[in-house]
Amino acid sequence: MHEMSLVRTLLAQVGEIVAANGGSALRCVRVQVGPLAGVEPALMATAWKQLSADAGCGDATLEVEEVPLVAHCRGCDRTFQPLHFRFRCPTCGTAETETISGDGVILQSVVLADIEQGAGA
Amino acid sequence: MTRVITVRRDVAAQAKEQAEDFRREMTRRGTLVVNLLSSPGAGKTSLLAATAVRWSDKQRMAVLVGDIATDRDAQRLAPLAPTVQLTTGGACHLDLSLVQRGLEALPTGNLDFLFIENVGNLVCPSSHDLGEHVRVVVLSTTEGDDKPAKYPKAFRTSRAMVISKIDLLPYFPFSIKSASDDALSIQPQLEILPLSALHATGIDRWCDYLVELRARLPQLCPTR
Repeated sequence: MHEMSLVRTLLAQVGEIVAANGGSALRCVRVQVGPLAGVEPALMATAWKQLSADAGCGDATLEVEEVPLVAHCRGCDRTFQPLHFRFRCPTCGTAETETISGDGVILQSVVLADIEQGAGA
Repeated sequence: MTRVITVRRDVAAQAKEQAEDFRREMTRRGTLVVNLLSSPGAGKTSLLAATAVRWSDKQRMAVLVGDIATDRDAQRLAPLAPTVQLTTGGACHLDLSLVQRGLEALPTGNLDFLFIENVGNLVCPSSHDLGEHVRVVVLSTTEGDDKPAKYPKAFRTSRAMVISKIDLLPYFPFSIKSASDDALSIQPQLEILPLSALHATGIDRWCDYLVELRARLPQLCPTR
């Protein structure tokens, strides 16, 4: 179960973005995970709840979008979605295929809200 | 007022860059780094012991061995090859910083082969690039031939699959063909190496495979 360490890494990266946009509060973090990311979205959500408050992002939500696995065939230059993790090209049958998405955790976007300044500030 | 900041970046990008730097450095040194993944008890340590016996003083090898607790694997291997135990204290996988510390603790950095024996686990270690040139998944005949289909990432991210304990094939309902077919559908370029460390069957082919890979190190990982 390495979702905890993954969320720690994610929080550190998000923290840098928040710091670079001084005066903003974090509202939402959107990530994409694929079937070969090695991550369970429900465990990631649990880890987020446990760790985000300690990182000063207590109210911010984590949105996890599950995306499909996509591979590219070097033989016939087509892309395809490997069914049941079968990576041989379904069109030309070659073994020369590469994963192009769905094998990692992608930080897609961060939603920030401007902190309202007090009167006269 | 809210603002959306688009990032579109792999969360592991920095770790991958660090692993790439380590890989290039090991290529410069002429050391082939092999990351061994398997379930607990698949025979990684026995494979390394048989490898060290086979090579004797022909190849300079060292081992970094990861476990949650104890230094038993290091005790087994130390008489055969320089070995450092990496104890994770509960973590389910090794990471690059542990590997780098282990490498510094070895008596010599002058190596032909550095083996990293990962924590026994077919899940988490497959998501962590340790800067290896070659990832090898070890599947033992006692585990069942359905593991490639059940744990696809470990097989997808490996260059070779060792099928260990083939001396036990008469006693277990394990089909090398079935395991190989499933593994090859997940990673069509997988090299498959059946062997028995106990009887030293298939060890020559395994060792020759590694020596051939080391001869191609600059192609495996250009130093740029």
